[in-house]
Amino acid sequence: MSMRTAGGNDDRSGWILLLKNPLVLRLACLGMILAFWEIAPRMGWVSPVMLAPLSATVISGVTDFGVFARNLGVTFGSLALALLIALGGGGAVGLLLGSVRPLRTTLLPIMSSIYAVPLVVVYPVFTAWAGIGVESKVLFGGLYGFFPMLLATAAGVRTVDGGYMVAARSMGATRFQMIRHIMLPAALPSIMSGVRIGSAMTAIGVVVAEMMAATAGIGFLITQNRTMFNTAEVYFGVFLVVVLAGTIDWAVSVIERRAGSSYPRKVRTL
Amino acid sequence: MSHGLASRAGRISAQIGIVVAIFLFWEVAVQTGMANARVLPPPSLVLPRAVAMLGDPVVLYNLWITSAQVLLAFVLVAPIGIAIGLLLGESDYFGRAFKPFFFFLASVPKSVFLPVFILAFGIGFTQKVAFGMFQAIFVLVISAIAAAESVSSDFLKTARAYGASRRQLYLDIYLPAMLPVIVEGLRLGMIFNITGVLFAEMYVSRAGLGHLVSTWGMSFQMVNLFAGILLAAALSIAVNEALRWYENKVGAWRG
Repeated sequence: MSMRTAGGNDDRSGWILLLKNPLVLRLACLGMILAFWEIAPRMGWVSPVMLAPLSATVISGVTDFGVFARNLGVTFGSLALALLIALGGGGAVGLLLGSVRPLRTTLLPIMSSIYAVPLVVVYPVFTAWAGIGVESKVLFGGLYGFFPMLLATAAGVRTVDGGYMVAARSMGATRFQMIRHIMLPAALPSIMSGVRIGSAMTAIGVVVAEMMAATAGIGFLITQNRTMFNTAEVYFGVFLVVVLAGTIDWAVSVIERRAGSSYPRKVRTL
Repeated sequence: MSHGLASRAGRISAQIGIVVAIFLFWEVAVQTGMANARVLPPPSLVLPRAVAMLGDPVVLYNLWITSAQVLLAFVLVAPIGIAIGLLLGESDYFGRAFKPFFFFLASVPKSVFLPVFILAFGIGFTQKVAFGMFQAIFVLVISAIAAAESVSSDFLKTARAYGASRRQLYLDIYLPAMLPVIVEGLRLGMIFNITGVLFAEMYVSRAGLGHLVSTWGMSFQMVNLFAGILLAAALSIAVNEALRWYENKVGAWRG
């Protein structure tokens, strides 16, 4: 990136020269999209039901800040509990399936097949069992993030160098010590990628569940505004969910860096 | 693969055994009253219902609607996604300009955009196809970028040094190198596409498997609901395994 010369630093500078810089092209396209977003509905190029102007979207978010904040709070609460199920449960089962050979060869392929099933179709079961309150969101979000966490953890544990295990066992390490001091550190990068994908999926699961049947939450708010054709509010709600997902991703990467630094970076082979 | 055929057969029979055991446990749990049959119907009711559904014209019609949406979305999005990905992967200029854009969008949760698609396309067939394409396109672009970058320059140099023609380069170097990565992208895209179409049908629609499942759930028809879920699961597992088989086949040369 730093090697690139900034276009337009000599007297031949013009649009063509400027566009030779890929970064300029990217920003120009982004600017055009934002400009289109603002201008197109105002000029009547697209129906205002389809697209609310950028400024109207932002204004709706500011005026309805209280409503958005309250519902975002509900979503956060469901998400926190769902993450406990997805990451805790998925991590524990993944650790078990990845480290016990007979389970790994039989159950793991079944788990990765289940991962291909579109889990949305299971949501009506959750509402039939747990109602349309917070419980069904927590359970469904937890299920959504469970499998990616399980598969990533199992894959991480599986790649642990067998030499370490043999060495530790011959020196009399207990099963707990082997998990704590060998398997977890070696599998950490893979587990963290499981945490990253699992958290993202859990968040999607909670919001999707709220969109389908709920009484509160950001997904519910989006659906409610859609049925009332409050286009600006719908766009602002979607924007909030994207920000939520981005924040989770950022938080995981911070934890990833912290956790990674407490273990030796390079694993040397024996 | 080194364990041989015998252990492979053993593994598969063990897997079948586990699946059978799960269904048995489910049946016994309901029959002994550990689970309430009204909220968890036993497999002895669900499995025959799932089979019977394959002869039910109403279910078949809705299954056909869903399949048509999924297939049309796939046929439309595959060439577009792969073309964009190859362009970004091969051209340094466009790659630098737009790769971060697509990497960012690939990480954005796409399901929340469904209401936007309803505002734009209504609640019919077109909206489901458009949403399925939207769900699938980013993973296709990302995998096509990876495919373009996975072509080994050593192989290219060697082939050129031995005087390979342009045609030979494309058919013998580029295609075998890129195909496994692209097929993997197609497989993931197909899963996202199916998920997207089913979700869109469950959210607001008048037809489709997702519409049926959602209606059965709301009217508490649990046997139908579980049978519908089994059908949806079986179909997507079949699609996934078929594409995975093809992926392994075209990727076998990598060892």
